[in-house]
Amino acid sequence: MTAATLIVLFVLPLVMLRGRTLLTCWGTQLALTALAAILYLHVPIEARLGFITVAVLHVVVALLFIARGTKVQWSANRAAVIAALLYALAIPAMLRTPIDGDEPFYLLVTESIVHDFDLDLANQYATLENTASGRTDLEPQLGDPVGTNGEKYSRHEPFLPLVMVPGYLAGGLIGAIATIALFGVLLVRSTFLWFSEEGIEETTQRALFGFFALAPPILFYATRIWPEVPGAFCFVEAIRGLRDRRTQRWAPALLAMVLLKLRFALVAVMLAVRQGRRALAILPILIIPLLILQFATGSATSVHSWRELLPGAPVRYAIGFFGLLLDGMSGIAFQAPFYLLGIYAITRWKEMPEGFRVGCVAATLYLVTLLPRAEWHGGWAPPLRYIVVFLPVFALGAAKLWERVPRGVIAVIATWTMGLVIHGLTYPWRLFHIANGENPLGEWLSALYRADVSRLFPSYIRLNDAATIGGVVLVAGFVLFRFVRVPTHLTIAALSLAMALGLTYAKKPGATVHFEDAHVKHDGGELHPHVWFVQRFLQRGGWMTRDGDSMTFLARGGDHLLHYGTGTPAMIEVAGHAYQLPPTGPYTRAFRVHVDRNGMTTIRVLHGQIFFERMELERP
Amino acid sequence: MRIFSWVLAAALSAYACHLSVQHATPIDAALPFLAVILTVVAWASTPTVMLAVPLLIGGEMLFGDERVRLLWFGAVVAGALVYAFAANGTDETDGKSAEAAGPYRALYVAGAAILLLRWIPFPVESWIREGFLLAFCLAIVALLRSTPFALFVGVATALFTPAVPLRTLFFPMLILMLAAFVRRALPRLTVPALALVAVMVLFFPWSGIVARATPYFFRNARPATERHHINQALAASKELTIEVPERATALIVSGANVPRMVRGTVLGVLQCGPSHPSHSSYSSHRSPADCQPRPIVIGDASDWGYLRRENFYAARNPLPRDPAGRVRDYGYAAWIDGAGRVPLPRGARTIRVTADPRLPQGSSLQVEAFELER
Repeated sequence: MTAATLIVLFVLPLVMLRGRTLLTCWGTQLALTALAAILYLHVPIEARLGFITVAVLHVVVALLFIARGTKVQWSANRAAVIAALLYALAIPAMLRTPIDGDEPFYLLVTESIVHDFDLDLANQYATLENTASGRTDLEPQLGDPVGTNGEKYSRHEPFLPLVMVPGYLAGGLIGAIATIALFGVLLVRSTFLWFSEEGIEETTQRALFGFFALAPPILFYATRIWPEVPGAFCFVEAIRGLRDRRTQRWAPALLAMVLLKLRFALVAVMLAVRQGRRALAILPILIIPLLILQFATGSATSVHSWRELLPGAPVRYAIGFFGLLLDGMSGIAFQAPFYLLGIYAITRWKEMPEGFRVGCVAATLYLVTLLPRAEWHGGWAPPLRYIVVFLPVFALGAAKLWERVPRGVIAVIATWTMGLVIHGLTYPWRLFHIANGENPLGEWLSALYRADVSRLFPSYIRLNDAATIGGVVLVAGFVLFRFVRVPTHLTIAALSLAMALGLTYAKKPGATVHFEDAHVKHDGGELHPHVWFVQRFLQRGGWMTRDGDSMTFLARGGDHLLHYGTGTPAMIEVAGHAYQLPPTGPYTRAFRVHVDRNGMTTIRVLHGQIFFERMELERP
Repeated sequence: MRIFSWVLAAALSAYACHLSVQHATPIDAALPFLAVILTVVAWASTPTVMLAVPLLIGGEMLFGDERVRLLWFGAVVAGALVYAFAANGTDETDGKSAEAAGPYRALYVAGAAILLLRWIPFPVESWIREGFLLAFCLAIVALLRSTPFALFVGVATALFTPAVPLRTLFFPMLILMLAAFVRRALPRLTVPALALVAVMVLFFPWSGIVARATPYFFRNARPATERHHINQALAASKELTIEVPERATALIVSGANVPRMVRGTVLGVLQCGPSHPSHSSYSSHRSPADCQPRPIVIGDASDWGYLRRENFYAARNPLPRDPAGRVRDYGYAAWIDGAGRVPLPRGARTIRVTADPRLPQGSSLQVEAFELER
């Protein structure tokens, strides 16, 4: 695999670069390899992390030459070839740990189709040792459709598993993922063809190529089993077809999109509205998938309900909206900052290409129904799951703005994106994160400093102060960027200062301590509810403890309200004071405890089984 | 007005770096200095170079392991300087062209590299001679037409000039004179020259070792493992018999007051010792050849302090073949002691080390420790 990676990395520039540009690129790659070899002798880091870092840097070098070189043979097809080569390398990296989230279930349906010619998973669940996913812990999820004769169906639409059948037959799990990667490659090709049709210059496309095709979330969704990337491909093809009035392009694309995921019907509806008089032509596309589902599983809407379309409370929309933009775990700003430019493009609506406006309008109803959902962040999936399908549209908006974006901002985005790619490829299991208000970076820093650094990152899953501040800063930033030009060097200097002040602040004790967080040193006990608990994001997480267990953390001096739950009377010691905790029944209750001064504080369970949720400062 | 914004950026960056310092090394303490240098380079080239400042701060926050952190600083600064030199694009959004700085850009980059390599840790040993050296090296870069190769020659000259004693300043003067003769004949060699500059800057936290023990960075730096300390200095003809501990793989030795000795000069002899009372000193399968006396020479080990800045110029010792010295100090003051590993006779339970009778008075063979297998 190492040899294959090195070969691909050096062959990569050959796809697009020629002449002196190619030679300089190879020279730079050789120099980079030599530097890496020297560093390898001296840096005590994990070999895999080092190798992936160097590989990503090689790709970045090639992308820089593609973006800025003088002898570049750019085309959407060549872009697709590069994407194909790199996706092929990324797939084994993703398979370092078993597939996760919905992925094994999609694969299970594929296996059912291949082996039994049906969608009933009952026998698959009974013989999990045979599944190519290697996941023997699967079981039907709460609310999965059950047939009249006790058949166990998956909640997931069967079209994606059906599409994966040839790949699965050819190569098992790898073949199934390769099918999705193939859609990723097609998505890259279609998107850049679309960009050309929308008048985006070649130099801009070259610069954007890496940000779109080889960066999160497209990279991670193109190399795992999710319907989002095939959906994105269908979406782009549908828009291109409607733009060119080619029914043979948009109709199958839109039908496939809705078949991939019933929720995408909301996109089709908006496209129909946008089409005006031709709206009725889209009607069969909405009906056929419902009929297929009804026929296959006995339920036309599967686990969905029409009530999902009813409006929610306004605050839920605000949380979902800002969460998708800014959340540290699942927001665009932290997980795919390039697309913030696409969001910003909305503020220049009239200047935007027609395709961007059509795409945004098409996304409206889907997003309006997504925002108030408790699972706006995507649940147990790599970040930005629910908006992957619209990312080509945001990329188009970013492309239109590209020449106006300060190079310093692009450099910040590029550096952060590189970090995300290296992190995601090295530790693919960290793409999945429990919805507890933290993220991997915050957890790492929290563990390093034994302080709640995670509270610096905006969380709309577990609302914190940073979320409010982040929302204000984002809006102010958009306004500022629209009307004021701040020099790059001052922007970066301000960013540096913000980082330094942030860490200084974070190292001081916070007003609230969540006991499941990484900064709390746990001596005994366990996470509750456990990581795999279905829809864990609907629960308040904490730490379950028993006699003798303890937790140490940084706390402020003063009176605190300790939120806990226990079935029987229990006794604890907090910062040297003993407290008798009354039973709370099935709920949690607040109990006042006192911490003498700022500093490391220990809660020790003297007697009983107690669930500790959080501790809030009441009075300093 | 524009210059004030740059001064403000430098001040904010330096303050941010000052606030973010989490560790105690002189390199961490020099972060504000780095921020100012990078801001000046950004001013002279392209504002994007400023991105190195938050990356430095990020490294300071994230990496607790000292070697990883300092190498991260080196990588960031090396990348920034190479980018500042090589970026040929314009930053229209800031209304400033990277090309506008023209040949002076190379001088700024060279100056920044030299300051990083030689002026840390503070205070600088001699401002005047360092100032002269800086001026000579910048003159070399300018004379060689500010090409990438010129940058390499200028930075390498600064790095490899000891400047102690003062007469070593003739070295950059000589290079300057040579440059005057060959200035038109030299190639650009963009990629290799910039790569070599990057390598030099990459290790700026230990630039003293790069300058005085260059091969050290191209060898497999075997991490220091557990040691069983002996700490005995043997004067001429003295001998020491020691029991070999379990898991011992090598004997770590160095010389004391032997910096003028050349490669191959004998310091002593290592051989198997007499039988231990409770064990046979020879395992039954071992051939007699394993217990042949093995000379310990300059090259196996060197003078303990010969790589110190003040000792290096007069020293004639080479870097030990398998250096076991520890990295000490930082920046241009960094050095490694001259200890080297000598493999133990296979299966020996005891060993005897004898210092060479020809060792001068005041010199000794230092038996430092056994290195133990992990």
